[in-house]
This record gives sequence, structure tokens and C-alpha cells, in this order.
Amino acid sequence: MTHLEVDGVTKVFGDPEKDGVVAVNDLSIDVPDGDFLVLLGPSGCGKTTTLRMIGGLEDPTEGEIRFDGTVVNDIKARNRDVAMVFQDFALYPHMTVRENLGFGLRREDNDMTDEEIDQRVTEVAEMLEIEELLNNKPAQLSGGQQQRVALGRAIIREPRLFLFDEPLANLDAQLRKTMRTEIDELQSQVGITSAYVTHNQEEAMTIADTIAILNDGKLQQLGTPDQVFNEPANLFVAQFVGSPDMNLYSGRVTDSGDDYTIETEDATFEIPKALVESEIDTSDVLVGFRPQDLYQRAARLTEGPDVDAEVRVVEPVGTEAIVHAETESGDITAKIGGFHDLAAGDSLTFTIAPEHVYLFDAETEELIKGRLMSERAEDAPTNGVEV
Amino acid sequence: MATDTQDPNQEFRKNPSWLYDTQSGTYVRKSLIGLLTLVVFTYVLFPLYWMVVTAFKTTAEIQQIPPTVFPEDPSLQGFRMVVMSSLQTSGYDAFFEQSFGWEISSAIDIDILTLIVNSLKVTVGAGLIALVLGTGAAYVLSQREFRGKNAIMSLLLASLMFPGTAIMVPEWELISTLGLFNTHLALILIYGAMTSPFVVWLMKGFFDDFPDSIVEASRIDQCTPFETFWYVLVPMARNSLIASFIFAFLLAWNELVFALTLLDNSKFTVPPGLLTFVQGFNTQWNVVAAASIIISLPVLAGLAYIQQYFVQGLTGGAVKG
Repeated sequence: MTHLEVDGVTKVFGDPEKDGVVAVNDLSIDVPDGDFLVLLGPSGCGKTTTLRMIGGLEDPTEGEIRFDGTVVNDIKARNRDVAMVFQDFALYPHMTVRENLGFGLRREDNDMTDEEIDQRVTEVAEMLEIEELLNNKPAQLSGGQQQRVALGRAIIREPRLFLFDEPLANLDAQLRKTMRTEIDELQSQVGITSAYVTHNQEEAMTIADTIAILNDGKLQQLGTPDQVFNEPANLFVAQFVGSPDMNLYSGRVTDSGDDYTIETEDATFEIPKALVESEIDTSDVLVGFRPQDLYQRAARLTEGPDVDAEVRVVEPVGTEAIVHAETESGDITAKIGGFHDLAAGDSLTFTIAPEHVYLFDAETEELIKGRLMSERAEDAPTNGVEV
Repeated sequence: MATDTQDPNQEFRKNPSWLYDTQSGTYVRKSLIGLLTLVVFTYVLFPLYWMVVTAFKTTAEIQQIPPTVFPEDPSLQGFRMVVMSSLQTSGYDAFFEQSFGWEISSAIDIDILTLIVNSLKVTVGAGLIALVLGTGAAYVLSQREFRGKNAIMSLLLASLMFPGTAIMVPEWELISTLGLFNTHLALILIYGAMTSPFVVWLMKGFFDDFPDSIVEASRIDQCTPFETFWYVLVPMARNSLIASFIFAFLLAWNELVFALTLLDNSKFTVPPGLLTFVQGFNTQWNVVAAASIIISLPVLAGLAYIQQYFVQGLTGGAVKG
């Protein structure tokens, strides 16, 4: 049970005066007790370095890391009472599963007898459903089983913090999904504050209470999964979160009374001022459409823009399809239902509700208008055409 | 389109090669490989074969010209001489004479059992020194960054290239200053120092390939650096450690020059001990060969048992486990 604070932490590899590489730059994150923090970002963004600094495997160049208000910068990894799950599991190959699980407890300065440790190992093994593997060596286990042992080794000690360093990256897609749910459940069960590193935005969205998005060692946004999806702080976050990627077009804004008029190469449309929180004081903007927010004009009516496009590829994913199409000014990707009649070369018109349009300042790339939460099926009037 | 009657090999035969795709080519290929194998085999094993057959020949047959490839009159004379010499030197001759009425007299006064015991003392001691020093040094050289690290590694490599005899005189000075002349400890120290650099290189290869995350996992599991070393690294390094030990052992077992110059007859190890069987024109080669065989047997047996680890250890660093 720990309140974790990362306060103004900077990590420079090499000589800071000369050609040092800044891996983490003035990062501040506050993780309340019992929270599940996910550090998300592309490779080399400093997320793993941050995790390793929390665990005590790296020393911050500047700044403080605090557990429950106590600065732990100078406390060694083995004294911090944190548990870590590594990407390659890092099980001790010469020990059986039982020995792997019990190893941390035996090294710990506690009064547990051999029987108590054995008892605890059995409990954890039952919890993770690996009790019949206890006498096997790690090499005899499948990837998913090794992952469970690694998890068990972390939870057995009931540490102050769980640290996960891309724990699912080495598993296959199916297993990744089930293990993701299990980690989430396990963490809620034991209620231990956790930090989790991943580059997979889908994983981050599903598992996190709070997501910290990093790029180039800098914190881009700290927020709930909903916040980073609907109100991305800037263009980077908007592009990194969500799949398929957001469609982006440059456009111009003009003030026309109750509305802002947005002009892109493909369409001109109005956004009611009521939907925009603050005054727009720039004329050059980037307009973003989430592929999930686009509809075929034939299927529903919105107040938003019409975009004419020619279908290039249709990628069915079950009940919906990802449609890649070409507009006059470039490409557009949409995730739509009712795709069965579509074929490459067809013309169609996409539309989007003004609530769902993202606007970014073209210069600073900061968010002007996010996606307003509204149900996709009920909010807009249909024009009577069946999907 | 191919019809059913056509030979599929005909249809798919692209880029035919006489050597690999024809019957006669295959014969030529296999005979060449067989011949080459035979030559290499003979080259490597003939000296051993010659030792064995010599041991079973009589002195007269050994001196025969042309020599016989196989003993015409197999005899255990050589072995008997070795055993008698050993019994006499170790003082059991009187016992055998009284008990069995065997008269034992030998011109040679060498006890091969003492030789083996002396050698084992020296080799095991040297092996342990090399292992402890070499592994510790290798761990630090692999895991830590510090100034002069490359210089140390180069120096260690360079020391392997020096012939031992080049430093004979200073070693001799050193040993007599330390008052260790004619002691087995002198040899243990010298052999340990001679083999440590190799152990450093071998073990450094192992530690370099060692996954960092396992060391980090042990740190997170609350291990002190020593506990990490002892509970995690050493057990995982077992095969490499055994390989290192065998290497140090073999070098010490076979070393002649230092043992010959630093020890007296009474303390001889195997190599100088065998040399004393060679006595100028009077050398009884069957005795030398028999002694060599007897002395090789325990070592061969030990190595045969342990060699599975040796191979694993040498390749352990190269192939990802």
C-alpha cells in the first residue's frame, strides 16, 4: 500500500555536460495508493527507464522518487520492497518453480519458517493455478506458465509496489489478452499500487486506472484512458492512442457568429461554438477524425462535413470493416459497418458528427477541441436509410 | 505437364551437379570423406596406439628392426616392472616376499601411486585457485565499467602467449625467496597463476552473455551482491566452472618443466616421474609405456565422466540457451 510520487525526475545516460542522452526529462507523476499506472509510449521514450528508477535499478540524475512521502533515491533496490515482472520473465533457470517462488521470501529478513514459506508458495500457486507445476524447472514451462510464475514471484512477497516491464510482450496475441485480464484482476484483488510499462496502447487502455503517455522522455499527458482518448493533450497523444490511426487534415477556421466554420481541402462545415470550450484564436488548425466516428452518408445524417472518397481497400474485421479510401487531398481510414457492398473503386461519402471532430492548433499541436462523449447510435438523427 | 510415367527427379532437376546428383559422384564423395576421416584418425590416434602396443612388447621386440606393428609375443613384463618398482619403493616388497614368497627387486625406484597422489594434490589445488580467482575477476570485468579494463584484459591475454619457460628464472628466484622450494605449494601457486587468465576469459564470456534481467530479478528479490553471486550466478555457471576447472587441471597435470626443476625425486608429480623411467641407453620403453597407461587410466575415467559438462560449458557461452 504505497502512494508513489515521481517528482521532477530526470535521467541522463552518459556525461550530462557533454554528450549524455536524456532518457527521462523532468517527469512528475503522482500515483495514489492502490492505483494502476500505465507508462505508455513508443520505444525509447523513457518509460522503462522510469520504471527502473522506481524499482531502484537506475539512479535518477535529478529529482526525487517518494514512497508514501519518503524519498527513496538512495535506497537500494533490494531494500525498497518492490516486486518486478520482467519482459523476459527472468526466472532462475536452475531452480524449480517452487524454489523460484520462495526465493525472495527466503532472502527476506523475516521470521518465516520453511513450513510457512512452503505454505505461502502453495497458496500463491493455487491462486495462479500452477500448483501442479511446482516441481518443474522453468525450461519445461510454456510461455504463459512462465509468465504466471513470474507474477507469482512478484505477489508472494506482498510488496509495496508492483512493477511490470512489458510483461506480455513475449506472449502470443491470444495469451496476451487473457493474461492482461488476469493481471488486472489480480491487482484489484491485492490492491497493491502498480506501475506497468507498455508500448501497446490497446493494452494500456484496457488495464490502466491512469495512463502516463511519454514521448522523448517528456510526459505528454497524464489521465484516465477516457481522457487520453477523448481529450488528448496534443497531436502526439491523439495519434498514439486509438487504432486505426486518426485521420488528420489541415484546415482553416473562421468565426461565423454562433459557429466556427472549418474549411479543409475536402469539405467545409460548421462547429457550434457551444461545443468548443475556449475561444479559437488561430486560423490554422489540424482537423482530426477517428476512424470509428466516420459514417457513410447514406447510412446516417449528421451536422458535420461530407467527405467524398474512393475506396481503395476493405479490410473486414468481423461485423465491421476498416476501409481505406482516397479523398481529393489524401487518404482517409474509416471503421464502419455495412461494408458488404463495398469494393475497391467504389465512391462513397463519409460524414462525422461535429461533436466527434478533434481540432488541434496547427502550430503548437495542442488540443483545441476534443471528442465529446456521446453515444454513437442515438445522438444523431438518421435519414431513414437502413444500414 | 509431367506424365505419371516420368521420373519426378527428371522433371525437378535444375542445376544438376555431377558430384552431388549422380550415383558415381556420390561414390566419389563418400570415398573421399571416408579416406580423409581415416587419415585424420590415424594421425591423432597412432601415437596412443604405439604406446599401448609398446607396453605389451618385450624389450627385445621393441628394439627389433623393422618394428612390429602388433606385438608378436605379448608380454606383461612392462607392467610387472612398474608394479614391482612401486611396491619396492613404497616398502611393501618385504610383505609380499613373506606372504607369497614373491621376490621383488627392481632397478627403478619410482612409486607411481605416490606420483598420482602428488599430481592430484597439485592439480586440484591449482584448479581451485584458478577457479576462485578467475571467476571473481571475470565477474567484475564483465559487470563493471572502470578505467583500464581493456588493458587488464589484454594483459591477461598476453600472459597466455608467454611460454612458461620464459619466466623460469624469476619464478625460481621468487619461489626460493618464499622458501617454497621443493614443496607442492610452489607448483600449486605457479599453475594456478598460469591458468587463471584462461579461466578469466572463459568465464567472462559466460558472464557477458548472462541475461541482466536475472541479476536484476535477484536484486529485486532482496539479494545482496554476494547472495546474487552465490545463489544465482554460480549455480547457473556450473558447466562453465567445470570446463574451467578441467582446463586448469589438464594444464597442471601435463606440466613438466616447473615440476622437474622445483621438486626433488621424492616429491615428483607424474610428468617428471615418468621421465625418470627414461634412463638414457638403458631405457625400457615397455616400462615407460606401461607406466603411462596406468597413470592415464584414472584421469581418463574422470574425464570421461565429466566431459559432458566440458562440452556444454565451452559452447554454453556461444549458443543462446
